[in-house]
Amino acid sequence: MPVKKTTSTLAVAALMASVAMPALADKASGTLNVAFTKELENVDSYFNSAREGVVLQRAIWDGLIYRDPETNEYVGNLATSWEWIDDTTLEFKLREGVTFHNGEAFNADDVVYTVDYVAKEENGVKTQRNVNWMKSAEKIDDYTVRIHLKEKFPAAIEFLSGPVSIYPNEYYAEVGPSGMGLKPVGTGPYKVTEVVPGQHFVLEANETYYDSPKGQPEIAKVDIRTIPDVNTQMAELFSGSLDLIWQVPADQANKLAQMDQFTVANESTMRVGYLQMDAAGRSGENPFTNKLVREAVNYAINRQELVDALLQGKSKVVYTPCFPSQFGCVQDVTEYEYDPEKAKALLAEAGYPDGFTIDFYAYRDRQYAEAITSYLNAVGIKTNFNMLQYSALRELNMKGEVPLAFQTWGSYSINDASAMVSQFFKHGSLDTTRDDQVLEWLDVADSSTNPDERIEYYTKALQRIADEAFWAPMFTYNTNYVFTTEVAYTPTPDEVLRFVDMSWN
Amino acid sequence: MTDIADPLSAEIQGPSPRQMLKSRALSHKGLIFGLSVVLLLVVVALFAPLLAPHDPYAQSLMNRMVPPVFMGGTWEHPLGTDHLGRDYLSRLLYGARVSLMIGAIAALISGVIGTAMGVAAGYFGGKVDAVVTFLINVRLAMPVVLVALAVVAILGGSLTVVICVLGLLLWDRFAVVMRASTLQISRRDYVAAAQVIGASTPRILLTEIMPNVFNNLIVIVTLEMAHAILLEAALSFLGLGVQPPTPSWGLMVSEGKNMMLFEPWLVLIPGAVLFVLVLAINLMGDGLRDVTAPEGRS
Repeated sequence: MPVKKTTSTLAVAALMASVAMPALADKASGTLNVAFTKELENVDSYFNSAREGVVLQRAIWDGLIYRDPETNEYVGNLATSWEWIDDTTLEFKLREGVTFHNGEAFNADDVVYTVDYVAKEENGVKTQRNVNWMKSAEKIDDYTVRIHLKEKFPAAIEFLSGPVSIYPNEYYAEVGPSGMGLKPVGTGPYKVTEVVPGQHFVLEANETYYDSPKGQPEIAKVDIRTIPDVNTQMAELFSGSLDLIWQVPADQANKLAQMDQFTVANESTMRVGYLQMDAAGRSGENPFTNKLVREAVNYAINRQELVDALLQGKSKVVYTPCFPSQFGCVQDVTEYEYDPEKAKALLAEAGYPDGFTIDFYAYRDRQYAEAITSYLNAVGIKTNFNMLQYSALRELNMKGEVPLAFQTWGSYSINDASAMVSQFFKHGSLDTTRDDQVLEWLDVADSSTNPDERIEYYTKALQRIADEAFWAPMFTYNTNYVFTTEVAYTPTPDEVLRFVDMSWN
Repeated sequence: MTDIADPLSAEIQGPSPRQMLKSRALSHKGLIFGLSVVLLLVVVALFAPLLAPHDPYAQSLMNRMVPPVFMGGTWEHPLGTDHLGRDYLSRLLYGARVSLMIGAIAALISGVIGTAMGVAAGYFGGKVDAVVTFLINVRLAMPVVLVALAVVAILGGSLTVVICVLGLLLWDRFAVVMRASTLQISRRDYVAAAQVIGASTPRILLTEIMPNVFNNLIVIVTLEMAHAILLEAALSFLGLGVQPPTPSWGLMVSEGKNMMLFEPWLVLIPGAVLFVLVLAINLMGDGLRDVTAPEGRS
């Protein structure tokens, strides 16, 4: 198709000419320009649930523990060592000589204050699952601290290396989450010099960063702008006013990969895309309370085709409500091969020979959502398509008013099945299933300190979820990172953009 | 006798008003073009199921974004396929239904509302006029797009909602124009004569006023139809109008937008047909005005 190629190249050339501006950012100026698609509700990492928030969290703050994204090994970060005193008590020796960006010295008081603050439910941390396993913290001396757990929680180390970062006690007590969101202060490799909500964040390298396993920052300045439209992002990439964009859809990434001046890197992420069905009947009488209908939905979707044609890259088909690399995410469950005839037969058996019409919700990846509804329509499940903002859909979901939705969950990059399956199947406000048997098994799996027992009970729970077709898990996501050849970066499979690992070529 | 009769009979045998109208219409290029395009699209919309080469809803993910035939594609999909591998030509044909239906019904609803209000205001005057004028001002003070967006966002987008919202929003121009022309006509002698011989008010409105304001009405209908079609496209583009998988030209532009840099035809094709339809409707309205009321032509 030579004609096609010429025209698209022409279009791109014309575009590049029309937006040509003096390059604002490059190696020479030392500023890396990055685009975020989504706007953050609050930079304070405990008060947003966005992927962009995780990226900033890892740059600005540090946790007690660090998990090496390559080897998955846990090493001390703000803590130098830790040990289990008993099943529900962890003791940490803290690193000495660390200071926060505002000059406040880091010690046990900061850990105690942060843990006590976030563990308290009424303080309203956005994702309770990240923190609600901790009861309190206790200072032993200035550089020794104990964290008390509510009950046995074997994934504690994983959570402490992920979403639990340590805040400066004096500063946080004074400004609270909203002040922290506008002027974040942490110990991390990058300090924030400017926050203009909805516009941009400016990060500067922390010159006095301690000898952390994260490594020293090499890029002096990072300017992150919020640009919702992918086309605008690409136009700015062409014109040189952006150096790095990520979460680039596969189609565009394929085209960009054909050009010489960009590096396109694809990595898998822990994000799993799934269909959530109201099996518990919270939204009133609906077809999904019938197991046959839920099975029909599972058979109606051609997962392989979605992965091959739409998601591409390192995406994979999944049948479990968790990411395969997560601890406990056993893949030995019932798999539903694409079989529209069987789906129709099951619907007829369930009493819907002509199908039915149902409200369908989605909040991201409209294209995938449309493709999924097409599969459903093809077997007779007519959908009223509703595209909502994430927060709006989450709220509807908590009220139990969503019969069918295309959802995704990134597990906060926590490499443990509890971060996903236990988030959604333990009768919380987002649980659309409310199955007592699953709850019972997950309780055992989540709190056991014996790895074999954990695996055994996750297997039971995951197999029941698949057998009962409570969800229709479909695929794992991948992310395309596109950056100019001046930037050196190797993305990690956990969907976290690490500025500290980037450098100029 | 023939001497006297000649000029008279010549006058009688000359072209009748109807014939003059016809000849004016046939020589009006804009009208001919507009009318033929609109008629063509109406036919296409009515017979879409027969004309469409494929099912517009049939998804084939392995055949995504096949280019149209003039850009290196094949005749299997003359206008290519969209981001889900659905035949673009078929979606375009079915999309014509949505656009024309929304345009026609919205113009009909707003036409009925606006004409009733305008004629009443112009004919009765006084308090009725004051109320109608007030309502028109209130309506004019609200930006159509904003109100439509808000209402659709609250009620949820669907074909019915979009038609109703547009129908209930676009009556202002009907009311303004109908009020002015009724005011003009109701001062005429033949209206006074009808009143004097005791004709009832409905009779006067229907047989004396309406036929004489009809020319203006037709022009407004075409204007508002084009307006409604564009608004529907705008709402669908913003994701608030017709919901997928229903094909709508605005939605097609929106869906193609992400690939605009590399596959510009995804946006160009629905954009172009939308442009041609709106242009044709406007030309048709302009032509109708020129032909029916040549004296009003500036």
